[in-house]
Amino acid sequence: MNTETTTDEYMLLFRGPHWDTGLSTDELQQAMTKVMAWFEGLNERGKIKAAQPLGGQGRVISGTDGRFVVDGPFTETKEAVGGYLVLQADSLNEAVEIAQSMPTLRYGISVEVRPILAECPMFQRHPELVRRATDRASEQLWIAAAA
Amino acid sequence: MNTTPKSDYLLLFRGNVWDRGLSPAQLQKAVSDWMAWFERLKAEGKCTGGHPLENEGKVVSGKQRSVADGPFAESKEVIGGFFYLTVADENEAIEIAKQCPGLEFGSVVEVRPVAEICSVKQRAEEYSKRELAGTRA
Repeated sequence: MNTETTTDEYMLLFRGPHWDTGLSTDELQQAMTKVMAWFEGLNERGKIKAAQPLGGQGRVISGTDGRFVVDGPFTETKEAVGGYLVLQADSLNEAVEIAQSMPTLRYGISVEVRPILAECPMFQRHPELVRRATDRASEQLWIAAAA
Repeated sequence: MNTTPKSDYLLLFRGNVWDRGLSPAQLQKAVSDWMAWFERLKAEGKCTGGHPLENEGKVVSGKQRSVADGPFAESKEVIGGFFYLTVADENEAIEIAKQCPGLEFGSVVEVRPVAEICSVKQRAEEYSKRELAGTRA
């Protein structure tokens, strides 16, 4: 049973930012024209809430207190996320259909389609803790504001 | 007056099962720390949005536009959610990422600058500029 609170928003994560490698200038320009037309078409239909490419630089933070900081780049692998799009759609099916109409799929890009949630699933696994935590969180906020 | 230019970063939180195996006390602390962190960043105007992502989802790929169910349920690499930051520079984004309460339980935060222009579009424009230069030469 899925008890997660979904929204009508879906995040598309575009993986494999080097899909243009090996394309001729003509192919690349045609592909870019198709991508722009695809994007504009969705935008005109009011489907796009947000969309941005991500820079290849960046850092990966891990470990307690973020003691490990590793440099990007993230562009070399097929799994790297090169950009994202927040879609407004009626269902996961509609979001998937829109992802399927993405012109650059044929060049090896893959699109991860993820429903955006209103609330963290971890919080939903432990609702009693969230109730107790809310009071503490507002207390901490108050302390932070007073500081 | 603060006229420092701001730049945008996306924090991608990886690992969506980091709460497994925690004691109730640890969990309660983690949950309240997360909420306090998010609320503080929003109040400071540094975080303009953030959402968790559902574990279910699909992956669309290939010329056949095939659709696969995402194996998103239990993995350390899966993206479980994101924050959108507007901050002074990369250092500030990294400092904020280091405050993520999930880190001590194995969560990983990817800090990515939001680009002005898609890198492929940039390459396409460079190619056509080079070609134009070539025809003129």
